Amino acid sequence: MSTLKKLSADISGSSAVTVVAGLAVCAGLCIVPFFVQNPYLLHIMILIFLSTIMGESWNILGGYTGQYSVGHAAYFGTGAYATMMMLQFRQVAPWYGVWVGLAAALVVALVIGSICFRLRGPYFVLASIAVAEILRLCTLNLPSLTNGAEGILATGLPPFTIGGTVITDFSTKIPFYYIGLALAPLTILVTWLVQHSKLGYFFQAIREDQDAAHSLGISLTLYKNIALVISAMLTSLAGSFYAIYVGFVDPPTVMALDISVQIVLICIIGGIGTIFGPVIGSLVLVPLSEALRSNLIASLIFKTGLVSPDSKFGGFLNDNLAHAHALIYGILVVIVILFMPEGVLGFLKKLAVKRKGGEA
Amino acid sequence: MAILEIKHVSKFFGGLAANADVSFELEQGMIMGLIGPNGAGKTTLFNCITGYYPPSKGEVIFNGRRMNGLQPDKVCKLGMARTWQKVRPLAKLSVLDNVMVGALCRTNSLKTASDLAMEQLKVVRMEDKARFLAGGLPIGERKKLEVARVLATQPQMLLLDEVMGGLNPAESDEIIQLILDIKGRGITQMVIEHDMKAIMRISDRIVVLNSGEKLAEGNPQEIVSNPEVIAAYLGQD
Repeated sequence: MSTLKKLSADISGSSAVTVVAGLAVCAGLCIVPFFVQNPYLLHIMILIFLSTIMGESWNILGGYTGQYSVGHAAYFGTGAYATMMMLQFRQVAPWYGVWVGLAAALVVALVIGSICFRLRGPYFVLASIAVAEILRLCTLNLPSLTNGAEGILATGLPPFTIGGTVITDFSTKIPFYYIGLALAPLTILVTWLVQHSKLGYFFQAIREDQDAAHSLGISLTLYKNIALVISAMLTSLAGSFYAIYVGFVDPPTVMALDISVQIVLICIIGGIGTIFGPVIGSLVLVPLSEALRSNLIASLIFKTGLVSPDSKFGGFLNDNLAHAHALIYGILVVIVILFMPEGVLGFLKKLAVKRKGGEA
Repeated sequence: MAILEIKHVSKFFGGLAANADVSFELEQGMIMGLIGPNGAGKTTLFNCITGYYPPSKGEVIFNGRRMNGLQPDKVCKLGMARTWQKVRPLAKLSVLDNVMVGALCRTNSLKTASDLAMEQLKVVRMEDKARFLAGGLPIGERKKLEVARVLATQPQMLLLDEVMGGLNPAESDEIIQLILDIKGRGITQMVIEHDMKAIMRISDRIVVLNSGEKLAEGNPQEIVSNPEVIAAYLGQD
């Protein structure tokens, strides 16, 4: 038993190998667009990058510091709206607008932090939901500022130029692919830096036991707010990226509760409080959700030959399975949580520990 | 010189006085035993001293500085650290990381913190457990981990809340030796303990609390022969 515990502490410590592997994967991903031009595949890759950025961001506050915010749509929406408003109402290019989004997220985070961090545990969760909803309702009901329920459609995205040379005019998905490929490893790097610094130790101490952390000289207010600000600003970056990629924002798509839940799920499925958990979570959730949406299940059932697509039942499946994608998605998520309470990554780690322990 | 002065400290929870007008002083480098029956207000007094509760009345003076209203993290930074009656290991961190969290109170360098933490683990003879997860330790080692962790914050004064509670005699002896070693390093200590034999052995002075009030104060010999203390512990007719 004790060797098991020792080994699991050892495995989480090995990092040199993962750095090399990570760099190799990034290099591999860089050349993917030279071989893959299928826009749908690129779209899925971009969604995976976006989901990774969102998951890593939340992970710093939720996974490392243990403050389960279910209101991260607030920061996602802040980034998305700030960038779009600057682009459409002020004709500011998004690569400058992003900074406005970051600054706005910083302010929103400090306000939300000052309200919600007075509370602990489930009360904090509820407060984070409530504050995010308030922000969504404000966005919805201030049409003079935000266009309200109509949302904002990007029409004036300027080409990206360096010294007069047009680098890209954003007419394909490839530039977005590379933006995602730059931002996702950036958030992973930020997480890595946090984990391997004083901040990481303090965040995890707060997660494990707030009173003990407090008694060891850690200012709870200060360090919770630092975690929130880092998390919120990275989430805002994801929001800006999403807004420019999709070219449209309105309150339900960037500020709604299900965005917040989605962000949390990425981490829970992948593995909370680990550097690569959100990556794994994204790799599982994005393709799963896309497959269900595109009625992959029905076509698989037809392929087995058990049900013919022309029969009455086949027609029923064809019509309804795609609509039930949210239901099936939900059931699968519950199954993963039941059987892998520490996420897919935690599950794999446990397997590795068991194998190592068996050999020893 | 008195490192800690408790002046007329009271703590009320609604109408209940958990501490009522408690006063005493603690000399630099001494070990003070704080004893009393269950519910006497010992842990409440610790909480008042270390910033978890603001005292309702009175003052806590540490190194000549008024501590009332300071947050626990500030108290720790000023050199006063406490352990918990119910141990609070950071369960998912390794033993070494637990102690490093304490060490990082005074340094920003992980390397320095790690060296300092390893030193403290040697003090409590747990250096071979450094890589274990704190959550998997048995109670005796959790208690020692608590001590190593607060020592890593480099305190001038330690408040130990029942570090021997739930330990077997051999483990208790080890903790007693540890407390005496810490005294040897010049660190002032205040110790809550139910084990009378242990408290008589280690304490230079003892304060007895009963129903929130200070019942007696003196050296161990005076306390054991004090009729009021005997009555409080054994009941009166």
